[in-house]
Amino acid sequence: MLSESARMTTAEEAKFRISAPNSKPRAIKVIALDQRSEAVVKKLAEGEWNKASFFTSVTFESPPQAGADWSMKAWLNDLAGRTIKLMDEVDTADLVVMVASAGEKAEAASVIGEACAAKRVQTTALILDRKSASDDALSNTLLHLRPFASMLVVADDDDYIESMLVALRA
Amino acid sequence: MDNRRATRPPQEDAVLRKEQNELVTHTGPGTPMGQLFRSYWIPALLAEELPENECPPLRVKILSERLLAFRDTQGKYGLIDEFCAHRGVSLWFGRNEENGLRCPYHGWKYDVTGQCIDVPSEAAESGFCQKIKLKNYPLVKVGPVLWTYMGPPEKQPPLPEWEFALVPESHSFMSKRWQEANWLQALEGGIDSSHVSFLHSGDLESDPLFKGAKGNKYNLGDTRPVFEVVESEGGLLIGARRNAEEGKYYWRITPWVMPCFTMVPPRGDHPVHGHFWIPIDDENCWAWSFDYHVTRPLTETERSAMREGKGIHAATIPGTNFIPTANKTNDYLMDREAQKAGRTYSGVEGIAIQDSSLQESMGPIVDRTKENLVSTDNGIIMARHRLIRAAKALADKGVTPPGVNPAHQHVRSASVVLPPDQPFKEGAKEALTVQKGVGHASV
Repeated sequence: MLSESARMTTAEEAKFRISAPNSKPRAIKVIALDQRSEAVVKKLAEGEWNKASFFTSVTFESPPQAGADWSMKAWLNDLAGRTIKLMDEVDTADLVVMVASAGEKAEAASVIGEACAAKRVQTTALILDRKSASDDALSNTLLHLRPFASMLVVADDDDYIESMLVALRA
Repeated sequence: MDNRRATRPPQEDAVLRKEQNELVTHTGPGTPMGQLFRSYWIPALLAEELPENECPPLRVKILSERLLAFRDTQGKYGLIDEFCAHRGVSLWFGRNEENGLRCPYHGWKYDVTGQCIDVPSEAAESGFCQKIKLKNYPLVKVGPVLWTYMGPPEKQPPLPEWEFALVPESHSFMSKRWQEANWLQALEGGIDSSHVSFLHSGDLESDPLFKGAKGNKYNLGDTRPVFEVVESEGGLLIGARRNAEEGKYYWRITPWVMPCFTMVPPRGDHPVHGHFWIPIDDENCWAWSFDYHVTRPLTETERSAMREGKGIHAATIPGTNFIPTANKTNDYLMDREAQKAGRTYSGVEGIAIQDSSLQESMGPIVDRTKENLVSTDNGIIMARHRLIRAAKALADKGVTPPGVNPAHQHVRSASVVLPPDQPFKEGAKEALTVQKGVGHASV
């Protein structure tokens, strides 16, 4: 008699896999941290997305204070130029993606990171255009992003971010 | 603001659309990914499978092509179409004699290039046999492996220069096992570093090929590593970062070189190991597993552990085509007691079979439209992205894919401690590159 595994791992059996949806759309907030990334994010926003939102810049009153859950006032700008409270957006996010260009300081990462930590929202950081920055310049970007990104990707080309968002069902 | 537009059709909403999944999983002749694989030298056989001149021929199925390998009277290796050009008989039944393989049906004989050199029923002076030639591919021994290149002859790249194949044979060990799943399912296991903290968590301090390394302390002390994925010339570098002393980070860095080479970061003075995943057809692959040490021969204890299926190797059933002892027909020797007691995380013993049991359970070719990837899957996402991009660039513009250039093969995995602001690709630059006579950077 065939074992359980031998019977159930055939292509024939694979056809019986239930086809009902197994997930709900995830809210993914994509935030540009610098001017070059802003252009990339704007272009991305022209595509068709399920539940992705795109923001072009972050402003805040003061840097985060160590030990505080949430210590500052901070705002995002959306593509229409409106100003929205960062905390409100993070509050409704499943994942926040920070987009930075290699060599930029990415200081706003600490503000976003603090908000995400307070709301227990996962963060991913994407560094684009790796080839245009020196090692030292990249180090500077990493220094600002690493403490606040639970996943970090350094990509050579801008087109990766679209693949990533599609793969995450954004 | 929500930039939601018109809802995409279900296929458009998939993590990987059906046609993309087919593109990356189908490797037969004429397919884009098949063409990509046919750009590289790939492992075909263990050298020990053709141990002497005029030994029995072997059936070899790679990239959905049925071939036959043999070693002639002078020690030349041949990899030719499995079937006799006359009536389609399998040449596996052939007689390996006097510099050729003779079909036992009517005596047609072929040399290692597939050229027919004798058709007994036809007069020699008729020249008939010169008009018969079976498809053949080069078969070359480098290290413990017989490699083949199945692409256009005019684009044949230089021979492979993977370090494990170039160290003295006393320093390396190679095994292979049959895996009943598409090659990409297996490869993605090698890229997906985040599963190690779960599926293989029971093995770190018990497996003789891992235990005792200082780095294990960091692994066990921080079970939630942070991952960084960085593109490299040949593919990717995947870094898993854990906290070390004095604010520094302990990094375990896994290189992936296109299309199917990965290397596991080393531990202490143990040999370092890695894999190739080679498609047999679209529903089966060879899991090749190597271990080597740059600066010393492997000890008999290490070799013996590898033969027994420790580390990343698997014990296989003698007399079979490298079918693992624990396989789907015996439910991988699932041990629920061990699972419950925590001796193994999944109930299956050994890293190789822990991986294959789960990857085979997905079905021969997993339907990736049903996946729900998360941000720690970025290594997998990036690998698919690069494979698709390279396959299209090759098919549309003839662009040579990454990994063909032998310089891309001069990679190492590494385990290192670095300052907190250092890009690991640069901080561990020397450690991630082959340096002749210098051992791996390993903690």
